[in-house]
Amino acid sequence: MILHIVQREFFDHLNSLRFALTAFIMAALMVTNAVVHLQSYPDEVREYSENVTAARNKLQSQTQLYSLLKKGPGELYKRPSPLTFVADGGEAFLPGSGTTDRGSWIRSTESGGSVNEIQGIWTLDYPTANPNARDLRPKANQIDWVFIITYLLSFIPLLFTFDALSGERESGTLRLCLANPISRPALLVGKFLGALITVLIPFYFAVLLNLAVISVDSWTQFGAADWGRLGMIVLIASGYAGIFIAVGLLVSAGTRDSRVSLVVLLITWVALVVFMPSTLGTLATKWMSPVQTVHQREMAKKSALGQLNADFDKKMWTKQKAQLQTDDLLNQLMALAKTSPEKAEELAKAKEEEFKAAVAKFESQKADEEELRLKAELVNKDAEIRERLNREHLTAQIVQVQRARGITRFSPAAIVQYALESMAGTGLNRHLQFLEGVHRHIRLLRHFIVDVDRADTESLHIVGIPEGMSKKPISSRALPTYEDKITFSETFNAAMVDMLLLLLLLGVFLLGAFLVFIRSDV
Amino acid sequence: MALGRRWEGRHKALPLQEHDTGRWRLEGVEKHPRMFLHKALQEKKRKEIVMLHTLIRQELLSLMMSARFLAAVVITLLLVVANTVVLLDEHENRVASYRQQETIHRQKAEAAETYSFLELFVERPPNPLSLFSAGLDKRLGTTVEIYHGSVPTLSSMSSRSLENPYLNLFSQIDLVSIFQVVLSLLALLFAYDAIAGNWESGTLRLVISHPVRRGSILFAKYIAAMVCLLLPVLMSLLMVMIQLSLARSIQLNTDDFLRIGGISFTTIVYLSVFYLIGLLISTTTRRAATSLILCMFFWVVLVLVYPNWSRFTLNPVGDMHAEGRSASQQIEQIWEEADREEQRFLANSPLKGEPPEFYLGSSGFGLNQNSSASYRRARTRRFSTSIVDAASEPLVPHFQNYYAFVGATHIRLAEKAGLVSEQRLARIDIRRAVWDERLMKFSPASRYTFATSAWAGTDLNGMLDFSRATQGYRQTLIDYFQDKDAFASRLWFAYDQGAVDWWDLPRFRFARAGIWENAQRALADVSLLFLMNLVLFMVTFLIFIKIEV
Repeated sequence: MILHIVQREFFDHLNSLRFALTAFIMAALMVTNAVVHLQSYPDEVREYSENVTAARNKLQSQTQLYSLLKKGPGELYKRPSPLTFVADGGEAFLPGSGTTDRGSWIRSTESGGSVNEIQGIWTLDYPTANPNARDLRPKANQIDWVFIITYLLSFIPLLFTFDALSGERESGTLRLCLANPISRPALLVGKFLGALITVLIPFYFAVLLNLAVISVDSWTQFGAADWGRLGMIVLIASGYAGIFIAVGLLVSAGTRDSRVSLVVLLITWVALVVFMPSTLGTLATKWMSPVQTVHQREMAKKSALGQLNADFDKKMWTKQKAQLQTDDLLNQLMALAKTSPEKAEELAKAKEEEFKAAVAKFESQKADEEELRLKAELVNKDAEIRERLNREHLTAQIVQVQRARGITRFSPAAIVQYALESMAGTGLNRHLQFLEGVHRHIRLLRHFIVDVDRADTESLHIVGIPEGMSKKPISSRALPTYEDKITFSETFNAAMVDMLLLLLLLGVFLLGAFLVFIRSDV
Repeated sequence: MALGRRWEGRHKALPLQEHDTGRWRLEGVEKHPRMFLHKALQEKKRKEIVMLHTLIRQELLSLMMSARFLAAVVITLLLVVANTVVLLDEHENRVASYRQQETIHRQKAEAAETYSFLELFVERPPNPLSLFSAGLDKRLGTTVEIYHGSVPTLSSMSSRSLENPYLNLFSQIDLVSIFQVVLSLLALLFAYDAIAGNWESGTLRLVISHPVRRGSILFAKYIAAMVCLLLPVLMSLLMVMIQLSLARSIQLNTDDFLRIGGISFTTIVYLSVFYLIGLLISTTTRRAATSLILCMFFWVVLVLVYPNWSRFTLNPVGDMHAEGRSASQQIEQIWEEADREEQRFLANSPLKGEPPEFYLGSSGFGLNQNSSASYRRARTRRFSTSIVDAASEPLVPHFQNYYAFVGATHIRLAEKAGLVSEQRLARIDIRRAVWDERLMKFSPASRYTFATSAWAGTDLNGMLDFSRATQGYRQTLIDYFQDKDAFASRLWFAYDQGAVDWWDLPRFRFARAGIWENAQRALADVSLLFLMNLVLFMVTFLIFIKIEV
C-alpha cells in the first residue's frame, strides 16, 4: 500500500513544473561548479607541488646542523583536497601553510672586550590569512556542493511538501484518501518517501553530471577512499533533504491553509538556513572570553622575553665578575712574583682555596663552555617562550571558533556544512589536522637535530649555539621531510557527530509530523 | 474565495453613498447638454475614484487579515531585533577597538625622539551605518601607516586589531540583507496569487463585471500590497531606532538619519520590484500553484543563485598577475633610481669617505652599502641616537644635508611610485571589483545591496574616500615636516640636544562623504530600480488588459 502511495506521489510530482525547474537549476549549478573546479584545481595542485619542491630544495641545501636549527624547515604547505569542489570550507581564511619564523633576533653581548652576537633560532609561528583586508570584491558565496545542498536541498523540499497535507485537506482529497483502508502513518510515510525520491532524483542526476564533467579531467583522480567519501556526502545530503521534507510535512499537517503553511515554512527556512549559521556564530562570540588582541599579545611576549633576558644578563654578569676576580687575583700574583717570590708563595698559601677555585674557573673559562651553555639556554628558552605563546594564542582562537561552531549547530544547514567539510577534507577540522601534522613533524625534526649532534663526538653537544654544535655536514637524505596527508579515518570521526545530529533531527521531525498528523482533523 | 463575497456587499452600498452627498445634487441642477456631458464624465471619474478607493481598502483588508501577513511581520521583526542586538554589540566592540588602537598609535607616535623615528598610524573609524549595510566597512583593513616615503592606497590597509581571524569563517549579516531576503520573499508571496488566484476562484471575473477599469484593479492590488510591505519595514526601522537610541556607542547625526531615509526609500523601491515581478508572473499564469513555483524559482535565481554565480564564473577580468608583476618592477625601478641619486649625492658630499659604514656615536647607525636596496631603505628610514661623539660632530652638518636631500628625493619618488601602485589598484583590484558589481547588478537584489551601501557610505567609493583622506594626511605630515625643516634638522637623527616635541603634530580626522555625495552615488541604482518598476508595471498592465478572464 505504501508503495502505491509513493508511486502515486512520485508520478504526480514528476509531471509538475517544480520538478522540471528543480532539475534545471540543480544541473546548471552542478555543471558550473564542475567547470570552475576544472579551471581552478590544476592551478592549486601545481602551486602546491611547486611550493613543496621549493621548500624541500631549500631545506636540503642546508648542510650545517646549526643552519638547520636556525632556519628551520621553512614553510610547510597544506595539500589541497581533491574534493574541494564539494566544500570550499572557507579555505581562503585558513592559511595554506604553517610558516615558520626564522630566528630573526640578534643580540650582541660584550664579554672580555669582544662583541659577540647571540642569534635566535627558529620557532614555529602560525600565519593568519585574512584576505578580506584587501579584497575589494563584493562578498559572495562559493558555488560548491555545500552551497547547493544547504540552500537548494532545503528550499526545494519545502516547495514539494508545503501543500502535501494542507492542500489535500483544502481540496478534500485527503478525506477521500483516508476513507480507503489506509492508515495515517502509511499515508505519511508514503508522502515522505514520494517527496524524498522526487527531490533526490534531480539531485543525484546533477551530482552524476558534476562528477562526469570533473572526471574528464586528468588532474583529479579519485581513489577508492574519495569515492567512499563522495558516497557519504551524498548520503548526508539525502538525510538533510529528508529533514526538510519532514519539516514541510509537519507544518503542512498542522495548518489548514496551504498558503499559511507556505509562509511559515519559507520564513522558518530563511531563519534556519540563511541567517542562523552566521548570526549565531557572531552571537556566540559575544559571551565568550575574548582572545588577546595583537597588542596584548605583543605585550605578553615582551614581558616574558624581557624577564628571560634580564635573568640572562644577571647570570652573565655574575659569571664575568667571577672571571674578573680571578683575573685580579692572578694579576696580583704575577705582580708579586716579579718583586718578591716569597710573598707570592705566602699569598698563594693563604689563599690556596681561592686560588684553586680561580684556576679551575680559569680553566673552564678557557673552554668557555659555561658561557656557551648560558647562551644556548637563552636561545632555547627564548624559542620555547615564543612558541608557547604562539601556541596558546592559536589554541584560544580555535577554541573560540569551535565553540561558535558548536552553537551554530542549532541550524541543520550548519551541521551539514561541517559534516561535508570534514568529509571533503577541507575547512577547520582539516586545518586542525594539518596543524597536528605540522607539530608532529616539528618534534621529529628537533629530535633529529639532537640525535645528529649526539652522534658527533667532536661536538660540545650544546644545541642552540653555532660553536657548541656539530660542524659535520648532514646528509640531505637523512633529513625528515614533511608531506601533508589527508586521512579518511580522522575526518570521518569529525563528521560522525554531525551525522548523528542530523539523524536525530530527522527522527525528531518525522515523529513530530506523525504526531501532528495523527491528532489533526481531516 | 472570501474576496468575492465581501466585494458584493460593498458594491451594493456604493450608489447610496454617492447620492447621499449634498454637493452632488446641487451641482446636478445644471441643465445644459454640454455641461451635462461634462458632469457625466465627472461623475464617471468620481465613481472610479471611489471605486479605486474601495478596491484598495478591500485588498488591504484581505491581505492584512491573512495569517501569512501576521506570520511574516512577526518573524521579520524577530529577525531584525535579534540581529540588531548582535550587530550593535559587534559595532560597540569595533568602536572600542578603534579607540584603543587610536591611543596606541598616538602613544607610539609621541614616543619617537627624533623626526625620522616617527611611526605614524591612522585608524579607519567604524561607520555606524554599517549596521544597515556592511559593505566593505567591516571587511577591509583599518590601519594605515602614514609615512612620507610612501603614498598610502587602499591596498596598504591592514587589520592589526583583528582578534581572531578564524571568525571570518562566519559570514557577516546586516539589516539590509534581512530586508533583501525576507521581505522580497514576502513580496512574492503577496503577489503570486494576486491575479492567478482570483482568476482560479472566479472572483476576477466578478470584479471585472463591475464598471471598473482593469488598470484600477491592478493599481489597487499594487498599492495595498506595498502598504502591507511598508508596514514591516517601518516597524523594523522603528525597532532598530529604539535599540540604537539605547546604545551608547552610536551617535547619529542628521545626515545619518537622512541616509537611513534613503536606505528605506531604496528598500521600498526594491520590494516593489519584487512585488511587480510576482504580479507579472501571476498575470501570465492561470493557476496559483504554477505562479507560486515560478515566483519561487525566480526568487532563488535572483536572490540566491545569480549574485554568487556571476561572481564565481563570469568575471571578464582574467589573470592579472603579469600586470601586477610589471607594476611591482616599475616601483622597484623607481626605488633603484632613488638609490642611484643617493649614491650620486654621496659621491659629491664630504661623507663619501665614510661609506660603506658610517657611524654617528656609539649606538651605531649607517648606510650599509652591501645590502640590498630594500634593506637599505628600511635602514635609512629611522634613526635615533642620543650620543654624538666628538669624532663625528663635524660630520653632523653634512648628515643634515644628506637627510634633507634623501627626504626630498623620497617624497618625490614616493609620489611617483604611489602613482604606479594607484594605477595597479585601479587596473586590477578596482576593475575586478567594479566588474563583479556590474554583473551582479543584473539581479535587483544585488543592485539593492549596492545602492544601500552607497547610501551608507560603506561601498568602494566610501573606502576610496578614506584612502584619499590618508593621502591628504600624508601631505599634511610632509608640510608639517617642511614647516619645521625637519629633514634638514639635527633632530632628524639625533636627540642629544633634546627630543622632538610632538604637541603640534596635526591629528588625523576622517569625515565621511556628505549626504549629497551619497545620494549621487546611490542615484543610478535607485533610479534603475525605479525604472524597472515602471517597465514591470507597464508590461503587467498590458498583459492584464489583454487576458481573457
